[in-house]
Amino acid sequence: MIRVTNLIKNRNGAHILRGVSFEVPPQTVLGIIGGSGSGKTTLLRCLNGLERIDGGVIEADGLRLEPNLSKHEYHRRVNELRRKVGTVFQHLYLFPHLTVLGNVIEAPTHVQQVPRMEAEKEAYQLLESVGLKEKARRYPESLSGGEQQRVAIARALAMHPALLMFDEPTSALDPKRSAGLRSLLRGFVERGHTMVVVSHSIGFLDGLADQLLYMEAGEVIEFGETDQILNSPRDPRTKDFVEQAK
Amino acid sequence: MQHRRLQKLFALSRIPAVLLLLLGSAFAQKPLRWGADPSGGAPYVYNDPSHPDQYVGYEKEIVDALAAAMGRPAEFVPSDWETLVSALQRKSFDVIVNGLEPTADRQKQILFSKPYYIFQLALTVRSDEQQIHSLADCQNRTVGTLGNTAASRLLEKERIPMKGYADPIAAYRDLELKRIDAVIMDVPAEVFYVSKNPKLKRATEPFFRGTYNIGLRKGDESLKSEVDTAIDKITNDGTLETILRKWGLWNDAQLELRTPGKAEQKNTEAGYDITSAVFNWREAIWRLARAAVVTVLIAFGSMVIALVLGMFLAIGQWKGPRVVQWLCTVYVEFFRGTPVLVQLLFLYFGLPTIGLAMPGWLTALIGLGLNYAAYESQVYRAALEAIPRGQWEASYLLGMSPLLAFRRIILPQAFRIALPPMTNDFVSLFKDTSTAYAISVWELATAYRELANASGQFLLLGVAVSLYYLAMSLPMAHLARRLERRLQRRDAIEAVESEVA
Repeated sequence: MIRVTNLIKNRNGAHILRGVSFEVPPQTVLGIIGGSGSGKTTLLRCLNGLERIDGGVIEADGLRLEPNLSKHEYHRRVNELRRKVGTVFQHLYLFPHLTVLGNVIEAPTHVQQVPRMEAEKEAYQLLESVGLKEKARRYPESLSGGEQQRVAIARALAMHPALLMFDEPTSALDPKRSAGLRSLLRGFVERGHTMVVVSHSIGFLDGLADQLLYMEAGEVIEFGETDQILNSPRDPRTKDFVEQAK
Repeated sequence: MQHRRLQKLFALSRIPAVLLLLLGSAFAQKPLRWGADPSGGAPYVYNDPSHPDQYVGYEKEIVDALAAAMGRPAEFVPSDWETLVSALQRKSFDVIVNGLEPTADRQKQILFSKPYYIFQLALTVRSDEQQIHSLADCQNRTVGTLGNTAASRLLEKERIPMKGYADPIAAYRDLELKRIDAVIMDVPAEVFYVSKNPKLKRATEPFFRGTYNIGLRKGDESLKSEVDTAIDKITNDGTLETILRKWGLWNDAQLELRTPGKAEQKNTEAGYDITSAVFNWREAIWRLARAAVVTVLIAFGSMVIALVLGMFLAIGQWKGPRVVQWLCTVYVEFFRGTPVLVQLLFLYFGLPTIGLAMPGWLTALIGLGLNYAAYESQVYRAALEAIPRGQWEASYLLGMSPLLAFRRIILPQAFRIALPPMTNDFVSLFKDTSTAYAISVWELATAYRELANASGQFLLLGVAVSLYYLAMSLPMAHLARRLERRLQRRDAIEAVESEVA
């Protein structure tokens, strides 16, 4: 589904990503772990085109994103990439002036020009799948943190992305709700979605991610099957991180 | 059949029809637009206290007589004494009739007709004054008079300490209150204000000799000859004398202007008396209400300009190319850094010199709009910058273009933040419309000055005018408070968001 080769990102002369490579097969989940400042979030922002890449290649469904493209062509491909990728931010950034339903149908009706009735019908289905059908007419401010997060998921899913990306999805959730979110996401994978989940909670990724990627200072230290990374890490740095996280 | 009857009708009414035609052609004539300052303008031209909606005054009657002699309707354009000459030059009206003396400096700027009144100066003191019997006795006293008049120049020449006033009523009041020791004024004003006031008296018989002439634009020679002919006509047929006698302004000096008129008019002398007239409050309140409508229109019109232009300025300053950013900043700093009064005067008197003359109300509307656009742009900018960058990014990731994200996501949120300060600005814009009086726009503050000067009812009229302003600004302030409460609710959302983080 998505393949990243030797991805490089510099900011103000600092090397944020120093040649990151990995591949996520369709209908699988990649968990990205690492300490603060390891470059996890920047990697995510490169994958959805919020940051322009300085080196390497991002390939998704036959689309190639490279730094040496003209500005116009790069922009065009980023827009195409964004149609395949849905993102749920750590801070969610719901639209506070719109209702829950308004948040979900905003992009389908105004970007894809889906008729409003049709968009609403689908939005209700999506909200039902995240357990928020009853709160469709409420404003985000009146919802709990967990509910707001599920609105953000529904909003991303409304654009039918093949790939879903999450940045620290459990940072505001208690353990019980984390487990609920994990089974919700697992359900989406079974229905055909591919996922990239950035988290520092190994407990959350255990049982969700098929592969894990451990980063440190903009470099991939270890990339492999979840079981292998968690139980028999090859690199001592991965081992240290996993043991401390447990 | 019907056609025939019409023909018959026409034949029957031929003589009146001709008369009508003649009358019609008189009204079809261009009106004689004349400018004068009606505030504190008694007895020249001022608001009739018993009919505040109408202007009266001996000069008004003279103009009406002149206009009739010229076969034109007269149209009065209320203006401000200080700016009469500039207003004439920018074609706000065609002639000045306001007791204007043809001084050498004015003659450099405008044309003058032949004189229609010969005036003298009167020195007024308090009734109990013992020491002042002539201007020479005032050497070490303070004498009040109007600025930029023959009297003020005489005082300057004699090196007598002088205090300038905008209108006679204020000068005579200060004399009564012993703030000054004497007042020197043209006889018409002196007759009007002093003759019925037992607390004041003439220090000596009127002295000095000067003339009142009608001011015209340079190059308006044909109008000048038309006006001169009309002056000759009303001086010779006795109309002028009748008017002057009615107002108690007739004296033998005026004989210079004319051949002697009918003898029986000599015993109709009577001073026009303001103090006995009852001030008509109902008409005054109604007049103020109409002035308030002008104020409201100027305020709303300029707010629309401010909101639209302010938005462009904010976007230009915020996201525009560097040159645009720079230009917007220069604009904002210029309009915020100079007084709105100066801007209005510039627009009103400065622009006509490059051929761009607008009526006063439009100048006020545009001027205030341009000024407030600078303030609104900063309100918008602050509001736009207060929207988290994540709102933009979330919109982009959903496939929105920058324009769509701005229109659908950013602007509605920014608008909610900007509304309370915007309404506050609107309230102060309401009050700033009063600066329009400087460019002779007839709005609430102007109407107050005009009516209060005519009636002396500064206190009660002031209360009435304040009530008008409050009736307009209080609902606005109330709205601002309600919106602020809504903004506080928005802060609660941000609190939840940061909790999630």
